[in-house]
Amino acid sequence: MGVLDRWRRIGPRPRKVLVVSCHPCDHGLLVAARDRVLEALATSHVEMRHRDLYAEGFDPTLSADEHATHLEPGVGPALRSHADDLTWCDTVVFVYPTWWSGQPAMLKGWFDRVWASGVAWELPDGADRLRPGLRNVRRIVAVTTHGSNKLTNAAQGEGGKRTLFRSVRAMCHPLTRCHWWAFYGVDVRSDDDRRAWLDTIGERTRSMFDR
Amino acid sequence: MTHVLVVSCHPRPDSFTAHLVSRATSGLERAGHDVEHLDLYAIDFTTAMSRDEREAYHGDEPVIDPQVAEHIEAVRRAEAIVFVYPTWWAGVPAKLKGWFERVLVPGVGFRFDERSGKIRPNLTHIRRLVGISTYGSPRWYVRLVNDVGRRTITRTVRVACGWRTRTEWHGLYAIDSSDDAARAAFADRVEAAMEALS
Repeated sequence: MGVLDRWRRIGPRPRKVLVVSCHPCDHGLLVAARDRVLEALATSHVEMRHRDLYAEGFDPTLSADEHATHLEPGVGPALRSHADDLTWCDTVVFVYPTWWSGQPAMLKGWFDRVWASGVAWELPDGADRLRPGLRNVRRIVAVTTHGSNKLTNAAQGEGGKRTLFRSVRAMCHPLTRCHWWAFYGVDVRSDDDRRAWLDTIGERTRSMFDR
Repeated sequence: MTHVLVVSCHPRPDSFTAHLVSRATSGLERAGHDVEHLDLYAIDFTTAMSRDEREAYHGDEPVIDPQVAEHIEAVRRAEAIVFVYPTWWAGVPAKLKGWFERVLVPGVGFRFDERSGKIRPNLTHIRRLVGISTYGSPRWYVRLVNDVGRRTITRTVRVACGWRTRTEWHGLYAIDSSDDAARAAFADRVEAAMEALS
């Protein structure tokens, strides 16, 4: 047994990474970025789970019944494996295209339905703010592409970044670290820029998890 | 007289959001406006953009769903749009987010300028954007931490409108701990504001 294997056996436990990806197509820059992330994780010392919301046909619509019982802890049977992934991981990697300055409806619906009472938060009697419930999550990574340039995105209010790094992060561990790996101006940038960005995504993923 | 499009999004017909829609509508109608209402849950509007829609997005025919085509006509008729929804995860519900993505496609919400290659606003006929929303959190928390739904409408959609488009916002905060009097006062305020919309 080599030194490295020994260290892995007695050293820190592998990180538990949940990758949540969201794109309707199976080609394009964002899909390539997703594959780079998955490849890098496959060769790193991590345990990984991957949810591809479009591929599994996730239903993003919060129903009337779910709304009526949204203060009761727990989720329905269809969402239990999603909730289980969320309470298992210590790192969440979101891979999605930015549309109308935020997460696609498919991913927004995943938050609306899976980040439910008893999973992501609890609301004690009389309180007017949620108590965080995902102290197991200590790192949030966002990999996203923007059609607009960075300046336009700033004028549009950077909704997607705020959702992940403020509202979502507030339900996680207080020391959760956030990483924003974004590509702006998809429609006008050159192929060289795209290739360079994809390489960066792979390198960053490897250097973050392979230690 | 103005043609006003009301877009609302709540899964339950007995919700406070539904009550706000009816109060806003009666305010608008009393002021003599033409009101057209899209209740996204009631008409079972498809939430997520499909693969076919995404493939067609940058083509000549980005609209596939006939329901989306009807909504595009409604947007083109409107001079003001009023959004009524509950804020979830600091933003609009997924179904309303999907409405922006599927209805405000190239040629409707924005267009590509051939000469400069840039994206140009295409909702320049919209004179007013109004948001009416309920929040679980208190106002100071929403304003301090995040209000992505408000930003999506008053900034992202606003950028797709003309220079002179004005926005206004009405929020009921900490709704879970609010009493009936506070809700009634808020509904009155919404109705009065919609009657005064010009």
